[in-house]
Amino acid sequence: MTANKHALIDHFRMMLDMRHFEEACLEGVPTREIHGELHTGIGQEAVAAGLAPWLRREDALVSTHRNHLHALAKGVDREKLLAEIFERENGLCGGRGGHMHPFDPATRFSATGIVGSSIPVALGFAYGFKMEGVSDVAVAVIGDGATNTGAFHECLNMAAAWNLPLLVIVENNSYAISVRFSDVSATPTIAERAAAYRAWGRCVDGTDVEEVWKACGEAFDHVRGGGGPALLEASCFRFQGHYEGDHDTYRSRAERKRIRAEHDPLTLTEQRLLDAGAATQEELKRMREASRSETAALLATVRAAPMPDASGLHRYSFVGV
Amino acid sequence: MTEPVRNVRFSQAIGEAIAGEMEADDRVLLLGEDVGRSGGVFGVTRGLQERFGEQRVRDTPISEMAFTGMGVGLAMAGYRPIVEIMFVDFVGVCLEQVMNAMSKIPYMSGGNTRVPMVLRTAGGCIGSAAQHSQCLWGTFAHLPGMIVVCPSSPYDYKGLMAAAIQSDDPVIYIENKRQLNKMSNTHPVDAVVPEGRYTVPFGKAKVVRQGSDLTLVTISASVGDALRAARLLEPEGVSIEVIDLRTLVPLDTETVAASVAKTGRLLVVDEDFHSFGMSGEVVARVVEALGPQALRQVARHAMPDIPLPAARTLEEAAVPSEASIIEAVRKMK
Repeated sequence: MTANKHALIDHFRMMLDMRHFEEACLEGVPTREIHGELHTGIGQEAVAAGLAPWLRREDALVSTHRNHLHALAKGVDREKLLAEIFERENGLCGGRGGHMHPFDPATRFSATGIVGSSIPVALGFAYGFKMEGVSDVAVAVIGDGATNTGAFHECLNMAAAWNLPLLVIVENNSYAISVRFSDVSATPTIAERAAAYRAWGRCVDGTDVEEVWKACGEAFDHVRGGGGPALLEASCFRFQGHYEGDHDTYRSRAERKRIRAEHDPLTLTEQRLLDAGAATQEELKRMREASRSETAALLATVRAAPMPDASGLHRYSFVGV
Repeated sequence: MTEPVRNVRFSQAIGEAIAGEMEADDRVLLLGEDVGRSGGVFGVTRGLQERFGEQRVRDTPISEMAFTGMGVGLAMAGYRPIVEIMFVDFVGVCLEQVMNAMSKIPYMSGGNTRVPMVLRTAGGCIGSAAQHSQCLWGTFAHLPGMIVVCPSSPYDYKGLMAAAIQSDDPVIYIENKRQLNKMSNTHPVDAVVPEGRYTVPFGKAKVVRQGSDLTLVTISASVGDALRAARLLEPEGVSIEVIDLRTLVPLDTETVAASVAKTGRLLVVDEDFHSFGMSGEVVARVVEALGPQALRQVARHAMPDIPLPAARTLEEAAVPSEASIIEAVRKMK
């Protein structure tokens, strides 16, 4: 049973939009409109959707190579984001960044394609917020793989030593490309490492949008309240390969099938809405269709936009260029 | 009676620039190991923490990856951070934030995000062997997106630092450890450091000595060595024009090419490694600008492509010096 049916419907809509956004991206791969790697967050929507309501415009969010859903959660313009992913001149960064490097100063959203490197940048934002004495939060989103980098340790240590408003959200999908977290990590969970830094830490089921929402609420309360850094580990499942084209031989067909059947945050939320009597099958279907057709229209718009002209190759390399 | 000439250490000239900019703009702040309480291992930031407080002059743990990235985040948030990597050799542990974040974000963002950050670091040989004596400016210049500043004169040490802090582009500012503890009057030119604020523009090489037989192009502390060598060679009838590049990025090809067009001979002296670096780049640019027929003679005198040995005898055989520059010029006669 859900405490707040309306909130759950809102979460559901957001997750639907996120799923359809990622599916729109998938359409750009065989056509080579997205001609490099593409990492989607299909299956991980509940983490971004549970986080979204807590984010204020002034908060900073630094994301990863798998960043689209966090951008949407932060309120980045969908059309500009999709246009950037589709390498268009009217994209967020004029097609210079592409899908791994979207930057949106208006919403204080940014990302990096290098695993672990989002945390130091978020630490800088956190340091600034602390100096200003504001209650804004710097959020670093990382995957489980990033928690075994030196930057993870360095940043949590510094954030705790200086009591900085840094929230590290780990999307633990159990795999760093093909390497299983449990095969290469000394601790069974990531959240328990928070204790080493005397930071706030906890685990949450990252497929349950309501649980994520609650856990994020606790984490934001802690960080905004001046309690220092927080480490929230959301366990989740990546449905696609690490990137589109990944043969995904490290997971058995049965495992992949089971993940989609049992851990789809959209299916789980739908069931919960039905069980609570918050929506009928028919209403859910209409929501799905509305979201799908909106995204299809968005994709058509983006596809009609021009590609960057080669004459602009050197533009933006330095101020005034 | 003339005013007594102000004589300060090179390190103090940098510190004055930082203090002046911190005074003028409260978005300027300083992060790094030992920059605060101790005032820096070379004394550059002495007194700044007392003056501007612990938040703006922040001693960090030995976590270069984290505090260099912190600089990137602060710059994106509207600050003007100066991040100190104590020795340039240490950049290996945080090159990621330098080459993939600081220098690339302005372009990757389509110009919507500026990274007005200065990475201050020290290069040059002070007898500390392979891991504490490198220059590496060629490495940074090879990677796109950053201004690369390597000052030589006390005047430039201050003026180029002020320009670096005011720049909206990311800047690598490489001091030379051979100079930091020296007094400004030991430098043959531009030895006077004005007390007030001023800047020196990027990308303007300086002809620090006029000559007609040979163009000697160099940067950083080697400019002083080259000037002394040129003076000693004068009685041998060689007139050497010495050019201080001041910045590798942007590189002032025009000034160098104009000189070579006059002298027909080019010698590039570089305390950084010989291959794939500044010396080869300068020669290539001159050839592209003037055509190969404009050059009667070309030579490079740079750090050999080996890790710098510890023994003094070996070090002296490796690092370009006043004496070795004289030899290099004599070979060209």
